[in-house]
Amino acid sequence: MTVFILRRLLQSVGVLFATSIIVFLGVFAIGNPADILIAADATQAERQAAIVSLGLDRPLLEQYWIFLSNALQGDLGRSFVFNQPAIGLILARLPATLELAFVALFIALAAGIPLGLIAGLKPQTIVDETIMTGSILGFSLPNFWQGMMLIMIFSVWLGWLPAGGRGETVQVLGISTSLLSWDGIAHLILPATNLALFNLALVIRLTRTGVREIMPLDFIKFARAKGLTERRIVLVHVLKNIMIPVVTVVGMEFGSIIAFAVVTETIFSWPGIGKLLIDSIMLLDRPVVVSYLLVVVFMFIVINLLVDIAYSLLDPRIRLRDSQ
Amino acid sequence: MPRIRMLLLGLALSSCLTTVAMAVDLTVGSSTEPAAIDPHFSRSGNSQQIAAQVFNRLVEPDENLQIQPGLAVSWENLDELTWEVKLREGVTFHDGSPFTAEDVVFSLERADEIPNSPAPFTANVAPIAAMEIVDPLTIRFTTTKPTPQFMELAGLVFIVSKAAAEGASIEAFNSGEAAIGTGPYKFASWTPGDRYTLVRNDDYWGKAPQFENVTYRLMSNSAARVAALLAGDVDLIDAVPPGDIATLEASDGVQLHTTASGRIIYLGLDSARDESPFVTGPDGALLNPNPLKDVRVREAMSKMIDRQLLIDRVLSGAGTPAGQLAPAGLGGHAVSLQPDQIDIEAAKALLAEAGLPDGFGITIHSSNDRFPGDGDVAQALGQLFQRGGLTVNGVVTQPYNVYATAAGKQEFSAFIFSFGTTTPSAAPGMTNVLMTFDEAAGTGSFNRMRYSNPEYDAAMRAALAEFDPATRNRLLEIAAEIAFHDYAILPLYWPEVTWASREGIGYIANTSEDTLATYASVTE
Repeated sequence: MTVFILRRLLQSVGVLFATSIIVFLGVFAIGNPADILIAADATQAERQAAIVSLGLDRPLLEQYWIFLSNALQGDLGRSFVFNQPAIGLILARLPATLELAFVALFIALAAGIPLGLIAGLKPQTIVDETIMTGSILGFSLPNFWQGMMLIMIFSVWLGWLPAGGRGETVQVLGISTSLLSWDGIAHLILPATNLALFNLALVIRLTRTGVREIMPLDFIKFARAKGLTERRIVLVHVLKNIMIPVVTVVGMEFGSIIAFAVVTETIFSWPGIGKLLIDSIMLLDRPVVVSYLLVVVFMFIVINLLVDIAYSLLDPRIRLRDSQ
Repeated sequence: MPRIRMLLLGLALSSCLTTVAMAVDLTVGSSTEPAAIDPHFSRSGNSQQIAAQVFNRLVEPDENLQIQPGLAVSWENLDELTWEVKLREGVTFHDGSPFTAEDVVFSLERADEIPNSPAPFTANVAPIAAMEIVDPLTIRFTTTKPTPQFMELAGLVFIVSKAAAEGASIEAFNSGEAAIGTGPYKFASWTPGDRYTLVRNDDYWGKAPQFENVTYRLMSNSAARVAALLAGDVDLIDAVPPGDIATLEASDGVQLHTTASGRIIYLGLDSARDESPFVTGPDGALLNPNPLKDVRVREAMSKMIDRQLLIDRVLSGAGTPAGQLAPAGLGGHAVSLQPDQIDIEAAKALLAEAGLPDGFGITIHSSNDRFPGDGDVAQALGQLFQRGGLTVNGVVTQPYNVYATAAGKQEFSAFIFSFGTTTPSAAPGMTNVLMTFDEAAGTGSFNRMRYSNPEYDAAMRAALAEFDPATRNRLLEIAAEIAFHDYAILPLYWPEVTWASREGIGYIANTSEDTLATYASVTE
């Protein structure tokens, strides 16, 4: 298993290198940062000076070479917009996004698995129909619209929860979290729900299908014959067997939640990295875009690895091996 | 809600204890975020918004962009190359240290030395050849050449504390350690992407600031700003989208504050080349000569545009039709230049006179995320030109980051752009957009049309060399008449900018589009 993990991490270096080339070329293809960043009323001399100081006057290959040699020394460059280390900007906002994503994932699992179990155990009843119809809404309503509706109902009409922004944060081990104050949690509820709804629907459906598939199988009949309580059958034997597809999908989705929480972050003015990415693409802030995507790719690699490890823990028949 | 309750409490208290300063806070939903707290890092509007409250300048622009005495109380020309500036007495920095001529000299020297700055104040301090401190409150400036706009340039550079800012990194400013100014509010904190906060400077030399604490919540999404105002999370929002104005007007307890902006939205026409990439004949081949070179064709196109209709339909009425670059109130606005009315007969006659009775083919390009309605304006223009007798081959809109680069490389024939004036006169726009593209002379850096008219250039040079402000404005008007009778660009409209506030909070709508706590007030 250790060899497997090491080999995976080595492969990730190659992936990161390829990503850096693609993104570097991609941003170059979109446009010239100088046309966006430099003030509209700048004189020719100011323009030229700014272009030189940002290194944009050099050939693309040379710019990439400078980036690469700095990156190998751990320096991913300074943001064109903020003139701060790009990786620092990203890491400063990562906790806010991670917090939002974890809470959203928690909501999706904590509500989705029980609802899916209920629907799966009582198929074709009014309860099942209600849950399944509800989950269609979670799939089909656009995320953006859901967010606006949550704000309209809970902030504007009822006035229960704030309409956006991050509340009071508390520093724990150098990381700021809003989970430890009521103001922080109040600000977190709506965006986390908004981000959770799609995955909630997904988890309900996966769980229900899994339950429907497993309930008629022989080992369940055997367990019943053995005299196990229904409670133990569902919570241990059924649940363990439906977890593999749920873990796979949720693992992949968690990466997407972090990387593409931007819609929710924009509607709720949440100071996370999604918003930083969109702003950086708009302003062609190449160091930030490249660093961000490198961080995200790395995150996906780690999540995939964790999902693979979770498989082998859930199902001892699965061995962690590279396919040769 | 608690904020409003506090506000009402404040009002109640103030009515019995009128002499006691009210402890009222202000929360702003802001559409833009600064790039840095260092006031010299970026000259762009989003970064200046915070700087304008924490720092002062030698002269301060008012809500109509006209300059008023700031840290300088008076200034005069001893001769064409020498300016003597008297500084305000008894001003202290936020750390209690006194403000002196040393700080001014330091700030002006620092302004063009900020590493990696995308929008430095280089041009503002470029005319300075030497600075001499006559006494702690008097500075004598020598300029490299006669510079009538000296105070509009050097005077608009923010003054930082020499003791705090000397050798300070951008991080030291962002943390607040070096962000020591003389302005009405002190910098308290900045959480990027989330908020920045200011506290009142009780020792401010000017009009006493009204708010104890000011919080700017950073909300780039306009729907989120409107919702936050309606939910009572914020007291004031900026950049209200035209589509939401009617909703907010109908809401209880919301006030709107509107003014015309100094930003011109115009259609640029590629009028210098013999062949333009999107101007075609009936057979689809590029036309040579390019009809846009002919002033009659440009005039005909201007007469095809129903500007009022465009504003009413696309912008819900939030704009003023434009016939020139400078809106009324700014130096260089010529009353004689009225926007063209739609006149299709005249347009057809002009086209026939130019030898193009059947029109020609054209494609219109625009950004779609730069200012409210930009993509829709392009669509509407396409229909207006089609109705006017041209063959519109397409309307292409792109994200600004792609569009701006391509437009800078002259890849378009007819393209929508904007230029925002933030100075007392329209001279910067008239220099950078309309004068001949000339890197050496530093003119025409945004002349994407490559329009070039020696008569206009000469008129501009005369205006820029004039010391008397009134005469300079008159000369700018003459130059404007030359350029717009020549249809150098087709001006479309000046958009209105709108702020919305909770009842009880007043706001001075300003041409510079700044959202400043100093423009907000508690009303009865």
